[in-house]
Amino acid sequence: MSESNGYAVRTAGVWKIFEQEAEEVQAVRDVSLTIERGEFTALAGPSGSGKTTLLNLIGGLTRPTRGEIWVAGQELGALSNRNLAQLRLEQVGFVFQAYNLLPVLSALENAEFPMLLQGVPAAERSERVRELFERTGMTGLEDRRPGKLSGGQQQRVAVVRAVASQPALVLADEPTANLDSHASEALLDMMAELNRELGVTFVFATHDGHVMERSRRLVRMVDGAIDSDETRS
Amino acid sequence: MKARPSLHVGVILMLALRNLRRNLRRTILTATAFVIGGALLTFSQTFDAGTHEQMVDSGVRTGSGHVAVEAPGFRVGRRIEDRLPGSTLQLVRTAVAAAPVADRVTNVFYRLTVNGLATSASGARGAQILGVDPTIEAALSPLDEQVVEGRYLEKDDGLAAYVGAGLVDALDLRIGSRLVLMAQDAHKEVAGQLVRVVGIFRTGIGDLDQSVIHVPIATAGEWLGTGDDVTNIGVMVDSSLAVPEIVRHLGRELAEPIARGEAIVMGWQEAMPALYTMIVFDEWGGFLVLGILFVIIGFSIINTVLMSVLHRHREFGVLQALGLTPRQTSSVVLVEGLLQTAVCTFIGVGLGLAVTAALSDGIDISGLYGSLDIGETEIAGVTIDPVIVPVVNPVRILQILAFMLFVGVVSSLYPALRAGTIDVTESMKFER
Repeated sequence: MSESNGYAVRTAGVWKIFEQEAEEVQAVRDVSLTIERGEFTALAGPSGSGKTTLLNLIGGLTRPTRGEIWVAGQELGALSNRNLAQLRLEQVGFVFQAYNLLPVLSALENAEFPMLLQGVPAAERSERVRELFERTGMTGLEDRRPGKLSGGQQQRVAVVRAVASQPALVLADEPTANLDSHASEALLDMMAELNRELGVTFVFATHDGHVMERSRRLVRMVDGAIDSDETRS
Repeated sequence: MKARPSLHVGVILMLALRNLRRNLRRTILTATAFVIGGALLTFSQTFDAGTHEQMVDSGVRTGSGHVAVEAPGFRVGRRIEDRLPGSTLQLVRTAVAAAPVADRVTNVFYRLTVNGLATSASGARGAQILGVDPTIEAALSPLDEQVVEGRYLEKDDGLAAYVGAGLVDALDLRIGSRLVLMAQDAHKEVAGQLVRVVGIFRTGIGDLDQSVIHVPIATAGEWLGTGDDVTNIGVMVDSSLAVPEIVRHLGRELAEPIARGEAIVMGWQEAMPALYTMIVFDEWGGFLVLGILFVIIGFSIINTVLMSVLHRHREFGVLQALGLTPRQTSSVVLVEGLLQTAVCTFIGVGLGLAVTAALSDGIDISGLYGSLDIGETEIAGVTIDPVIVPVVNPVRILQILAFMLFVGVVSSLYPALRAGTIDVTESMKFER
């Protein structure tokens, strides 16, 4: 199946089973899901429902026990670790709950980092990031290290890092969990704008009611399986 | 999928450098241990090399020369029959005066050495009798400086002897005493020669003091009927590092007598195996001690880098989530370790060489060893000046550089492997 089919992600019968103290834990159970390009989708559910694990599976950070996952037309199970890393570099952007910026790099360098790995020329990197910094109100903070930024500012840098390399998909794991309501609202506005104007596909794992409200598709998970899948107009 | 643009060498270097700067105190502590270790290793090597050079220098002056030319059987039996004709001495002199070795050669000496008997009115003792050229020997052998009574041999001396103090005591001799030397001559007859004691020496080395007698080589040649033949030719060079070159050169120049089985050429290592073995043991003993020191330093590097890796689990997870392969993630840690150890290695070795240069006038170690009243120290059967001048041996310095870099690489490998084999999803949960 190829990228031209129009979906960003497709999973078919995906299971993830962990062995914990001689017990099997079914973190993800038989999940089949298709996410079209340009979607703004939330995977919701209580802690332990499997949403972060599903996000990690889609991002190629871990491999499924059973089932198949396609991202941007590529079946992840067929990829070597090296090619999986390459796919993450080119097709997937990550936003983490704890921001996970590299502390030794400035805000600008952090945002440019995936493009640096991709070999994008310096001028183009800088132009793309500065434009996104302007959109996200980060202009003037380019040279600050993560330790000198607020949580909201760090998460905005993380979002810029995730989208600046123009991936097919951005996976955001509890992106608002560490932010106050104001910062959380601003971040969601920003991601919604990037989704609307640049067509970036966002998939969130969240139990934040506000994120669920803002999403256009809400996939609820319970005990590792999809419980409901609701698309809003 | 597009081809990967590069191995991200620049990115890996940048991250490594920034991370080293990030934990400056830890970096400085580790670097200091490595720099001090490197400086110690380097200086102790140059000091050891200086000590060994002095031992070799003293040994070759008293013994075989840096390069020895002898008849093949002489070393085994020390018989008068196993001697070199005067023409071989001329060949050697001509050979060492020629380019490209002339600049390295400082002197050529020759001796007629026989084992014999020294007899006085009080008794007889076995003796090693050396017929020497007094002028050359005075310039070369440390024995002439170790006179305790009388004087060393002089150019115009005839029936004169310079005798070790132990032998003097045993035979109840004094300056002016008569002494009869007996040995087998060139015709395999026992021949005797009367000489008078003109000088007494004491080296502190029992073997020398109790057996060695120097007489003028002309006297010895006449007494033993050997004419201008010699048993030993010794070539002195400016540094023992030049020995292999001189051995090769003389081997070529003396090809004919060697082919006829009349002569052999050997370096001091072969001519004085006991001294050589002692130096090799001493060198390796030093390396062993410092090697252990470096293993300890290596473990401290492993510990430091590993702590840093464990502390940065989440960062490595992020790097892999962003597109670095496990191998490239390992490279970040490996390059960090390598950068640090490479810089510290060069600084440490540089510091060791600087200390060596600063002490190039010599270090007085007389307080460390039991000093003899003659102002010199005996180590392994040779006397050495207690002022040691450190010597830089470029090969050894390169070995130290290679060894330290090896320790750096090995010490960084395990932490690097750990960084590359983390569970990315688990590492993201880290410290959450």
